Amino acid sequence: MKRTSPDRSTTGRQTVVTGLGVIAPNGVGTDAFWKAVQQGVSVLGPVTREGCTELPLRVAGEVAGFDPALLVEGRYLVQTDRFTHFAMAAADLALGDAQLEHDPQSPFAIGVVTAAGSGGGEFGQGELQQLWGQGPHFVGPYQSIAWFYAASTGQISIRGGFQGPCGVLANDEAGGLDAFGHACRTIRRGTDAVVVGATEAPLAPYSVVCQLGYPELSLATDPHRAYLPFTDDACGFSPAEGGAMFVVEEESAARRRGAPVRAVVAGHAATFTGTAGWEHSRPGLARAIQGALDEAGCSAEDIDVVFADALGVPAADQAEALAIADALGPHAANVPVTAPKTGFGRAYSAASALDVATAVLALEHGVVPPTPNITEVRHDLDLVTGEARATELRTALVLSRGLMGCNSALVLRRVPDDRR
Amino acid sequence: MNGPVTFDELASLMKGRAGLSVDPGEMEKRPEATFEEFNLDSLGLLGIVSELENRYGRQIGDEADSCKTPHSFLQSVNAQLTLGA
Repeated sequence: MKRTSPDRSTTGRQTVVTGLGVIAPNGVGTDAFWKAVQQGVSVLGPVTREGCTELPLRVAGEVAGFDPALLVEGRYLVQTDRFTHFAMAAADLALGDAQLEHDPQSPFAIGVVTAAGSGGGEFGQGELQQLWGQGPHFVGPYQSIAWFYAASTGQISIRGGFQGPCGVLANDEAGGLDAFGHACRTIRRGTDAVVVGATEAPLAPYSVVCQLGYPELSLATDPHRAYLPFTDDACGFSPAEGGAMFVVEEESAARRRGAPVRAVVAGHAATFTGTAGWEHSRPGLARAIQGALDEAGCSAEDIDVVFADALGVPAADQAEALAIADALGPHAANVPVTAPKTGFGRAYSAASALDVATAVLALEHGVVPPTPNITEVRHDLDLVTGEARATELRTALVLSRGLMGCNSALVLRRVPDDRR
Repeated sequence: MNGPVTFDELASLMKGRAGLSVDPGEMEKRPEATFEEFNLDSLGLLGIVSELENRYGRQIGDEADSCKTPHSFLQSVNAQLTLGA
């Protein structure tokens, strides 16, 4: 894979994860999230949001127990959408975890990168209703920024005073992993820290109606049967909201300030294979895996766990299982594969960000969390189901594919205990 | 029933349109205090002008949009609302 930016070996600037902030349907905060993920709790349930209950989508992962008024100042509540409320609250959790504070003397030391798939649909719908219900003069000016994909990056930057390089990736579900690739490039170019991740809030009427156009969306009614990737009963995916934000830093900068290094972001690569059929994602995803392994300087045998994309569409599941086999060879049949998101849904670009959070926690605890609701696997994969599996983990591979054809792979490595 | 718009009404608009909690007495006491000090940005001011125009059923115009302080804003708004009332 050709890379245009200088790689780690030439600049010596390694990116590490120092902070996690999670807001997910199965838990607000990293501890609650990890407990639920490890136990394989399934929180998929009926869609209860106002205006959504009469729509054909019956099952989703809603974030309960998140009161934005407790976590986000009033001005941002009024001026931004729910997806940005999630992002600001998760960024605060990550910054607190990393104990990273804004230094007014070095405003350019910290950047922000987020990925977003659906933007601020709920906010946008409210203002469009004003437009058609009462007229243009009744549309609030914050519409101009709140529903835009870039809103979360902008507001996190403004709120925290982070004036380093900022970016937004609006490239499909895979954007949640590509944001890490972008953050690593930002750090290689000289920035010390980046607040990175993805959040989504697609469970609002306008946004749900948009999703009904996806043939991959599961319209099943039973929360335990709606999202069953890698099985004979696969019938699409259940959407979710929430997401995860992280603090990543240049390793020596993190160590200088005594920050605990939670994982190394070792390699990333992405490909695009279009929308002509899920079978095309097989070579694309395999190539992305190979690229990420190459950048990480890993062999296939070094991978101790795979966090699967797990779309829940038979052709896509087949393509993913084959891509893992193509890229990892004989090791593919032995490496534990998991998809904890079957317990809480697929939050578009935030799904892969949540998988990164799970991967960091799995590496730290030496535990592969299970894939909830799944019993019989039809592919030649060692999918971890039922109970979590305790095993030594050094290197994790996280995979993501987008409905519009993006494929992405990220390699994370545990920091040896004596180097934390 | 046209204006004049009071500091109380301005404070409640700042709350409703921009999510800011501002003490109207504080705005009234300090003629030199700027909207910026109260965290109101230009988009927020734009929203307040639109709301006042809808409420009072007439144009308030560009001058109010560019006022830097609550005092100059109310002066401008009320002058226009009472003009030919």
